[in-house]
Amino acid sequence: MNKPEIIEKLKTIVKPYVKNQEAFDNLTENTDFITDLQINSANLVDVILDIEEEFSIIIDNQSMERMPDVKSAMEIIETKLSEM
Amino acid sequence: MIGNDIVDLALAQKESNWKRKGFLDKIFTKKEQLQISNAENAEVMVWNLWSRKEAAYKIYNRQTQIRGYFPLQLECFDLKIIDRIIFGKVMVKGSIYFTKTEITAQFINTIAVENVQDFDEIKLLKNRNNIQKTNGIPEYFEAENLSTKPVSISHHGRFQQIISV
Repeated sequence: MNKPEIIEKLKTIVKPYVKNQEAFDNLTENTDFITDLQINSANLVDVILDIEEEFSIIIDNQSMERMPDVKSAMEIIETKLSEM
Repeated sequence: MIGNDIVDLALAQKESNWKRKGFLDKIFTKKEQLQISNAENAEVMVWNLWSRKEAAYKIYNRQTQIRGYFPLQLECFDLKIIDRIIFGKVMVKGSIYFTKTEITAQFINTIAVENVQDFDEIKLLKNRNNIQKTNGIPEYFEAENLSTKPVSISHHGRFQQIISV
């Protein structure tokens, strides 16, 4: 799976939790889930669980710690996928 | 140092399914999960513990300038109820913060402090006038002596709370 495919899947995952539509429409690697997309911090757990289901990976606690932005989430997904 | 958090219970019910598989395991330690399963109202306990973690995280974030998502490393303990106000502590990577939580039918509100005597110094602000964020962390600017005071803002659904110390 390449980067654009991962980012497209990620966008589909976060969409239901987004509170700032404009930031979502302009999403880049530098977008922050909480400060930019204004995803409720409790919903970030749902994002993580959805990522785990969608990509069939497990995001361990250490990886989860780096989660708040798109760039780190992408790196985590890419790393986990490469380990499979 | 202060932090606060407010949970609109009606909105939380709509936004989050805490019974979802894996949800509790990602954010609550085994001991906290035991408190949830033993609670008279499990859902209220979920948001009670969550708001304490969030409020404590805001102090940690202000002190260290480190952002991250590590709810399991914010452990709630030592819960005491005095006159319907819940007092507790949260351990964050070796530091202990004190929390005070109010639970109503509509919302759950936690204020966290670094020094327990700061609970008496907390002031509620009515609006965001003179509040600016530096590195995502809000501060109140006092024009008369050019100093700043720490501020914590929480907004969820129908409720907003802005505090300063």
